Amino acid sequence: MARLEDIPQPTRDAVANLACPSFDTHPFVAGPPLAERRVAIVTSAALIRRGDPPFAFGSGEARFIPAATPAGEQLISHVSINFDRSGFQRDRNVVFPLDRLRDLAAEGAIGGVADTHYTVMGSTDPAAMGDAAAQIAGQLQQERIDAVLLTPV
Amino acid sequence: MLESRGVPCAAIGAVRVQMEKTRPPRGLFVPFELGRPLGEPEDAAFQSRVLLQALKLLERTDGPVILEDFPDDPPGWRDAPGWLPPPLPSVAAPSDAAAWRVGFAAELSALRPAWERARARFGGSTVGLSGVVPDDWPALAAAFVGGATPRVAGHPTAALALRFLCDDIKAFYGEAGQADGPAPASRQVNGWFWRGTLAGQLLIALRAVAMASENNALKTVGGRFFVPVPWLPR
Repeated sequence: MARLEDIPQPTRDAVANLACPSFDTHPFVAGPPLAERRVAIVTSAALIRRGDPPFAFGSGEARFIPAATPAGEQLISHVSINFDRSGFQRDRNVVFPLDRLRDLAAEGAIGGVADTHYTVMGSTDPAAMGDAAAQIAGQLQQERIDAVLLTPV
Repeated sequence: MLESRGVPCAAIGAVRVQMEKTRPPRGLFVPFELGRPLGEPEDAAFQSRVLLQALKLLERTDGPVILEDFPDDPPGWRDAPGWLPPPLPSVAAPSDAAAWRVGFAAELSALRPAWERARARFGGSTVGLSGVVPDDWPALAAAFVGGATPRVAGHPTAALALRFLCDDIKAFYGEAGQADGPAPASRQVNGWFWRGTLAGQLLIALRAVAMASENNALKTVGGRFFVPVPWLPR
């Protein structure tokens, strides 16, 4: 469905030719079995809670999402108008699968769900997100999280 | 960026070529529409399959770069034949700002019950970025159509306020359009909004006004963030 040839122009060329960062190193951190891991979500959807200021264009900030945030209070403030929002309007889990993580925790497939999740503006150059990554990593380590799911929009 | 700080990560991605370029430690390519990384709204079983396949990458030891493909299309990407958009009043094409205000207000009023049903059905609304309540949208939008650049509390510029108003209008209609019946494909909702509603024509008109403006912020925001290119007038 979202194979490159299915994306309308000019978005297709834009995503195909998007300058992507390359990294000199390829860290690969091992961990315990999935059933023992606590999982946090990091989404690039620029989610906000209703009433909070939207992410600014080009913002390199990270915002923390307490797991107790009501799903019906979450809005997408991502700058792009070239992705679908109708799915998120029906079900926040299609972008921010917190209920599904809770399901997996209840089944014992994962060890648990983090108390805090995270969101950034996905259109921002990752080079501007160094401080945000450090903030997120610090909170993850403080909460002893050993698995992160990254979801784009 | 997190893996290098000691936290194992699994990434879902809907653009394979970008995943091949960025080479995350563990990536799951999903052949889903942009904006739906878990694939299918209101389908917990499908979402769980996607989620579990991504998370299971964390147990693999054959890194440092793993890229897997999710095998299936989401079940709801085809058009839903039984879906019908909510009925709208017949409104003549507005010729000035006052007529846009009246016509848009009539359409919003007609859709309000469907939007309320959608809020109840989906457990809330994604309307809210502008901070302006729907009853005030027609007057605000008409002011911009008329060439004014009113400031809106909570937004640093009139341009950004209008951008988020456009987002709210699209969200309101998107939700109202999905209030009843089977889940439509996104292209059904978009086709209805951009070709079948006065609000869609209003956003196209606002884009034209913004791009003709001497306000550079409005010109930039209007050109890029009001109307997706596939829905611009042919």
